Amino acid sequence: MSRSHVLRSRELALCQIDTSPFSPDQAEIILRYGAPVGSRLEYHGQLDRCMGRLQELMGAAEQKKQTLAAGTVVVAETLTRSMGRFARSWHAPAGGAWLAMAWPDTLLPEFARLLPFAVGLACCRAVRAVGVTADLKWVNDILVAGKKIGGILCQTVLSPGGERFHLLGMGINGNNTVFPDELVPVATCLSEELGARVDVSSFIGHLLAELSWSIGLLHYDEQLSLGQQTDRARSFPFVMQSWLAYCDSLGRRVEYGFDVQETPMYQALVLGVDPCGGLQMELDDGSLITESSGEIRYL
Amino acid sequence: MYSVCLTFSHFFYNMSSQEIQFDEIISRYRSDPYDYVDMFAIHTGEVHFLVEENDVVQGRSGEWQHIAGSPLYEINRERNPKIISSQTNGTVSSVCQALEGQFVESGEKLLTIRHPLKKKEIIEAILQEVLFLFEAPERARYYFAMDIQSRIEQKGVRSVFIQPGDEIITMSLMKRDTPVFYDGEPGIIHSAYFQPGDSVDQGVPLIGVCPEEKVSLVQKVITRVKAEWE
Repeated sequence: MSRSHVLRSRELALCQIDTSPFSPDQAEIILRYGAPVGSRLEYHGQLDRCMGRLQELMGAAEQKKQTLAAGTVVVAETLTRSMGRFARSWHAPAGGAWLAMAWPDTLLPEFARLLPFAVGLACCRAVRAVGVTADLKWVNDILVAGKKIGGILCQTVLSPGGERFHLLGMGINGNNTVFPDELVPVATCLSEELGARVDVSSFIGHLLAELSWSIGLLHYDEQLSLGQQTDRARSFPFVMQSWLAYCDSLGRRVEYGFDVQETPMYQALVLGVDPCGGLQMELDDGSLITESSGEIRYL
Repeated sequence: MYSVCLTFSHFFYNMSSQEIQFDEIISRYRSDPYDYVDMFAIHTGEVHFLVEENDVVQGRSGEWQHIAGSPLYEINRERNPKIISSQTNGTVSSVCQALEGQFVESGEKLLTIRHPLKKKEIIEAILQEVLFLFEAPERARYYFAMDIQSRIEQKGVRSVFIQPGDEIITMSLMKRDTPVFYDGEPGIIHSAYFQPGDSVDQGVPLIGVCPEEKVSLVQKVITRVKAEWE
């Protein structure tokens, strides 16, 4: 894996990205919004956490009276202290794609809330691009035949100087075929699914290209909303339309909880997802509920 | 959108001078043990009322607070009608009937619900006038920051001192976690109005903070109201 290989792969992938159903002019606007993705790329053999390194970079930039470049990406071959939500441990040995990106908080809140969907969309499309049929479980778990192949951690942080950034952490199991015992039944990786090793640098390059597209799409949605070029109030943002095309949660019976592993709250049937990303479910008594946070487990 | 109409300027005055006119407070609540909840237009649109004066209405219910309350009014903006439901139980005390079928601006007062207060609510209403209330910035799920949570677990919520700039709470919206920094006056967390992981509406208090020198006074209020309110 190398930095230059990642960047070359990103450029190649940007030329091949699926921009349907948009016109060339629209696609150009979308990709222009997403252009800062990977504007600066730092590559490490080993790190504690990619997000931690981004926070260090924020502080260092501000000490020089600068701001961290939008779209700065940190990639590491292995992570020693990686973690998921609720401080869950995240297994990140050599062979996987472990990265995080800093994106300045310039989106309006109603679009910033869709960032986790945009990142999930990018990861899912990148996995599919290498030939593995992945699906999205609300909000952004990436599954292959029910097994987790990747995860995303989104946090919004304040830099020491008070600037807000979204930190978007992504982990995709690549050639790391050995998992801790408790994860063996529920985890998989690209090489296991493909029956061959994957070029992780090339995969990360492709993922960055997909991030340019999906985050660009989110900014394009915001532009349309602000310009009121269409009646956006009643239609789905494009990023959510795209996300829905990859989501397999609809019609599934699920268990819901804020932290569903530790404290499952109830079981329900998934009816749909609203334009704000809220999960619409029907409870056993027939009543409807919409959740805007938390997680689900398929039953 | 709704607000609670309680005024305690006199009470406030006495709190600042460290004296409490208990009899006055108690008699105020005894003479009018209600909360008056005003309902405002959530956005611009044409309004049609679904209740009349003296109608009894119910708030949200169900184990997960997922069953909507009684429908109060419909507001229609660009052929997109929305029914707004009651967040509280009580009786409709007034309806601005002149606005029926009219186009209203966002924030226009439409009706008022008279909500009967329980003893616990009276204590809380008094406390909320005394404490600094830190409100939810968005409708989301909330939990305490890890450091605060461990201090709460070790010593209890009323032993946790916070000051402006402290990261106290994490807001979770669509699996994106955002730290929430405290910006009120320094003090101890006297009341936590949510359980970790609860969904809280925008503007609803998350915690009530009490300056350290007022803690004993606040405790006196609670004890007295508990003892005297039957």
